[in-house]
Amino acid sequence: MLSLQSKLFISVCNITVLYNTDIRMVVSVMSEYPERRDPRTVVAAVAIVAIIAVASIVIITFRPPSEKPTLVVYTYDSFMQWGDDPDTIFELAFGPFEERFDCIVRIERLQTDANGIISRLGTEQSNPVADVVIGIDNILILQSGVTDLLTAYEPSNIDVVNSTFIDALDPNHYIVPFDFGLVTLIYKNNSLEMFPEFNNLTFADLTDPALAGGLVTQNPHFSSPGLAFLLTEIAVHEKLLHVNWTDWWIAVNEYIDVQPGWSEAWSVWYDTPSKHIMNSYGTDGAYSVYFYGGEPETGIAPIYYDGDYYAWMQVEGMGLVKNGPNPELAELFIDYCLNETVQSLIATNQWMFPVRSGVVLDPAFEYALHPSEVSLLNEILARPEIAANLTSWLDTYDEIRIT
Amino acid sequence: MEWRILIRWGAIASPLVLLAVFLVYPVVAVLFEGLVFGPGTSFIDAISSMVTQTVLSFTFAQAIVSTILVVIIGLPGAFLLARLRIRGKSLLRASLIVPFVLPPIVVVVGFLRVFGEYGILDSVLMTMTGASESILNLANGVVGIVLAHTFYNIPLVIVMVSSALERLDPEIEETAEILGATSLQKFRYIILPHIRASLLAASILTFLFCFMSFPIVLALGEGRFMTLEVRIWNAFRTFDFGEASSLAVIQILITLALAYSYIKLGRIEEGNVRTATIKTLAFDEISLKWRICTIGYLVLFVVLVAGPIIAIAQAAVYNPFSNQYTLEGFTNLLDPGTGGGLLPLVNSLLYAVLATLLAVVLGIPLAYLHRTRQKGLPTLASAMTLLPLGVSAITVAYGLMRIIAVPLGLTTNPWVLIVIAQTLIGLPFSARAIEISLRNIDPEVLEQAESLGASQLQRLFYIELPLLAPGILAGGVFAFAMAIGEMSATLFIALEQNTTLAVVIYQYLGVRRMVDAGAAAFVLVAICFIAFLAIEKLSGETSGGAL
Repeated sequence: MLSLQSKLFISVCNITVLYNTDIRMVVSVMSEYPERRDPRTVVAAVAIVAIIAVASIVIITFRPPSEKPTLVVYTYDSFMQWGDDPDTIFELAFGPFEERFDCIVRIERLQTDANGIISRLGTEQSNPVADVVIGIDNILILQSGVTDLLTAYEPSNIDVVNSTFIDALDPNHYIVPFDFGLVTLIYKNNSLEMFPEFNNLTFADLTDPALAGGLVTQNPHFSSPGLAFLLTEIAVHEKLLHVNWTDWWIAVNEYIDVQPGWSEAWSVWYDTPSKHIMNSYGTDGAYSVYFYGGEPETGIAPIYYDGDYYAWMQVEGMGLVKNGPNPELAELFIDYCLNETVQSLIATNQWMFPVRSGVVLDPAFEYALHPSEVSLLNEILARPEIAANLTSWLDTYDEIRIT
Repeated sequence: MEWRILIRWGAIASPLVLLAVFLVYPVVAVLFEGLVFGPGTSFIDAISSMVTQTVLSFTFAQAIVSTILVVIIGLPGAFLLARLRIRGKSLLRASLIVPFVLPPIVVVVGFLRVFGEYGILDSVLMTMTGASESILNLANGVVGIVLAHTFYNIPLVIVMVSSALERLDPEIEETAEILGATSLQKFRYIILPHIRASLLAASILTFLFCFMSFPIVLALGEGRFMTLEVRIWNAFRTFDFGEASSLAVIQILITLALAYSYIKLGRIEEGNVRTATIKTLAFDEISLKWRICTIGYLVLFVVLVAGPIIAIAQAAVYNPFSNQYTLEGFTNLLDPGTGGGLLPLVNSLLYAVLATLLAVVLGIPLAYLHRTRQKGLPTLASAMTLLPLGVSAITVAYGLMRIIAVPLGLTTNPWVLIVIAQTLIGLPFSARAIEISLRNIDPEVLEQAESLGASQLQRLFYIELPLLAPGILAGGVFAFAMAIGEMSATLFIALEQNTTLAVVIYQYLGVRRMVDAGAAAFVLVAICFIAFLAIEKLSGETSGGAL
């Protein structure tokens, strides 16, 4: 039972409550009658903000309409961006084409990798915007559905390209070789003392936790060198060592650092002292010498087996987008890309090798790994076998990685 | 008269029509196409794959663990906020919302700085042990993901539960005390039943956000830990539309179930009004034991919640690799060239402003739809409002691209799509804030206006809209924060010329341009914070009610 005192207390509280509510009501009633403003000013202000915003966007992204046809080229974000002057490289490479055929070439570097380009082409399949796509490599072309997005085309000047590249890339000519490179492991020179095995590196060496923990590679789903590394691993284990390829991944799974793409992998590898070795390209040493002079800071460690060195050759190609807006111009563009003008710029801007025979390379390329110095893994892991197994290999890889 | 009714219905139905055209239709069409025509994995293969099952269990597991952590850490905070008498409480409440509206990718930046490799905690430990290399990295893998989700959602619980606590009539508690109830009994039989609905609602929202999480998992998961959303993104990116659609369907079914229970809970709460007095205590009125607990809690809170935000300021000027302070991050934001930050900054602001205006303009009729007496319409409106929260942003973006943009030829400059995607993401928040304001309008005022001869337009512009102004402003700011922080859809749609700050922060982090990422993140935080302060000043109300 409540005592009288507490009853009293409660009623006092009640009064306080009432009192407070009253005050609040008065205050809120007053604030609910604001000064009467003309609604037109508010509406006008909102409209002005909206118009200014739309106008600025339109001005920023405005491209003057032109009488000339525009050829749209889809490529990945780092295309030809590694040279002396990435801002003018497209003018240098494709300006002569624009002049000769009185057109505009728009290189659209999509903010993604080659897989993302395919996905974009798939999205736009019913109403394509792009005429040409550059950057589909000799593995990506084997993925199901990719050739449905392209029209086969054999350039008139295809004889300037060694047939090895055509056979490695696509004998059916859905894509035409543009450049090629060797995907291999590279190491920091100052790590060599700690790990002399870099001179004759095997996958078995890499299972040592100290080395596996120092290895940076890329996600095979989103990165073409990453996928090349996976195929290197599969080819070496299945074809040379004749063991199950999954064992190695299971062994290193806890330690290995898999980054989404090449740029991410490079920055982790470069910034972290404990990361000794990275999956990259055989031209990295040449890049270092070209830009910083002296001796390269990095060494190349192709996989060693039974007295031979092995590497995967990546051939990047260009293709005609199926039902693209300017098919004739697109064909001319592909022919043009095999010319000396474009091919001679590949080495020091893209850090790949040109596919055109007889192009003179920069002296820095003497520090690059050349195809003649290694056995190509492409030759022991054939195209049909990759095409048949790629999806299941990637699924198995995922299963290993996420468990 | 006929015309007027038609216009009125047109205005009110417009958001539903737009949502149907820009959200439901593209998503349904894309999912149907993906499931039926592919290319890629079939539905059966996708759901029976071990990878999908692992990803699905991980998505659930991390969301459950994060939600439990959020409730455990958030509840004491809610009590403190409701019961402790402190100065500047409304400012505190406003700043509590900040972590929640921060773009997830910005959270990642602050988070890495505090908990990551060579981060603040790591550096402290390194100096203590004299180590030269990083020893503690809490910002990757499962731990990183769960911690980041916790940081992100604690404010939800604090704000929602504390406002429920403030509605608890102190008399009931006093009566219980007088009748001899212990603190535990009081909590069990009075407080808990009272906050149950709001706690559940906050937990469901937290779970939903963690379940749908994308940028945090993408940045911290190292490709090994994936939520369904990350897997969907992977599938779209690698041209496996079959798998993407299958996973998106599973995801939508789960989120719809969650969203439905959230709406149900929202109904229960509606009756409650804030009581006039709230039982509060000053800090020196509580016992020593509780004072120590309070201080302990505040320390944990500052490290986990305030730490990452403060660290963003440091990340903006400090290069952890060269150990130097620099202003390069900010100069980068003024650099108009390729890879510079000026264009993304301008894009971010322009897109977000437009998306905010649209979200508000659409949010007003949507809020009115909640109030109509027509049977079924309020439920439809609630469902449509929440839909953008439950459908993966990646799927929306892909649907917009394929179904809307490609046939119209918009893909060469897809800024319109980005604005639409950002509007959709802000709409649930703007509509809800406006609806809450609408609830508080006294119907008598409107009747009086009518009897005094005001026309419908006069009534709308001179009475209703001014009364709705606080809700509109609060909703606008929420929508703005959501829009400017949107990353997933923009990442998918944007060409180089359309990138926004949220997208470049992700790209900078990838290539370890930490200072550039930090400076961009700092600018985003500053913009959001200023917007919130402005709302507090303008509306004089706490914007947290909008949740």
